[in-house]
Amino acid sequence: MGDTQPETGASKSEPAPANGPRGPARGEAPSREDHSLRRWIAYSARRERRLEQTGSDPDPRFTFANERTFLAWNRTALALIAAGLAAAQFLKFNLHGLRLIIAVPLIVLGAALALASYLHWEDSERAMRLRQPLHYSLMPRVLTGGIAVIAVFGGILAIVDRLVH
Amino acid sequence: MNPLASRPAGDAATPPPTDDPGLARERTALAWTRSALNMAASGTLIARAAFVGHLDALGIVSAIAMGTLAAATWRHGQVIYRERREPGMPPHLQAVAFGRLMAATVLIAAIAIVVTIAI
Repeated sequence: MGDTQPETGASKSEPAPANGPRGPARGEAPSREDHSLRRWIAYSARRERRLEQTGSDPDPRFTFANERTFLAWNRTALALIAAGLAAAQFLKFNLHGLRLIIAVPLIVLGAALALASYLHWEDSERAMRLRQPLHYSLMPRVLTGGIAVIAVFGGILAIVDRLVH
Repeated sequence: MNPLASRPAGDAATPPPTDDPGLARERTALAWTRSALNMAASGTLIARAAFVGHLDALGIVSAIAMGTLAAATWRHGQVIYRERREPGMPPHLQAVAFGRLMAATVLIAAIAIVVTIAI
């Protein structure tokens, strides 16, 4: 509960990440990817510290519930990726490349949900720490819409494939 | 209006906060176990697809990586919620664990796309 952080004030007043102007100047020795990876790690470490310094600990039951929601979305994302892989392997179109039109969007949707679920977890956690209302997530709409669009496309592709053959 | 948005988190309707999260901890441990099983299953699928696409090296590497990830996910749930019985998890630890899980999932998606195109 009253977990007081000694550095509370200090790092809160830290200016926003000075990524922009200073980035390229230092980026010569390490490769570009290495550099941006390190920047991403530093950036997420700052975000994590900020989260802990925000507000006060919520009821642990709510934190646990938020955690389980994140895990459930993460499993959904993995299931979409697995569905994409299965589509790539087991769909038999006459035009071989058509499988990709089904498989790749499923996998991309999975990756997008994985990212969104993390951001939504953080957003909810911050809201609970500040005793603020929770935000609605876009994820259910994205998931429903995505699956519907992919399903319709799948039907159209199956018909087109048959006609072309 | 919007019932979720108009009610502050942790307000009304629920009993006052307690130090003991009760069965919430157990449910969370089970959720981690489900995630670990899901990882193992996805790993099997990816490795199989990679072998079908004649990407043997990628298949072996991703099988080992996914197995390790599944084991780590399972262990995480066990250690934090069953052995240590943490009353709640410090948010920065959660953020690290979830960030890793998210990064792993995105990486899995990237490998899945490579494998899909190769098949």
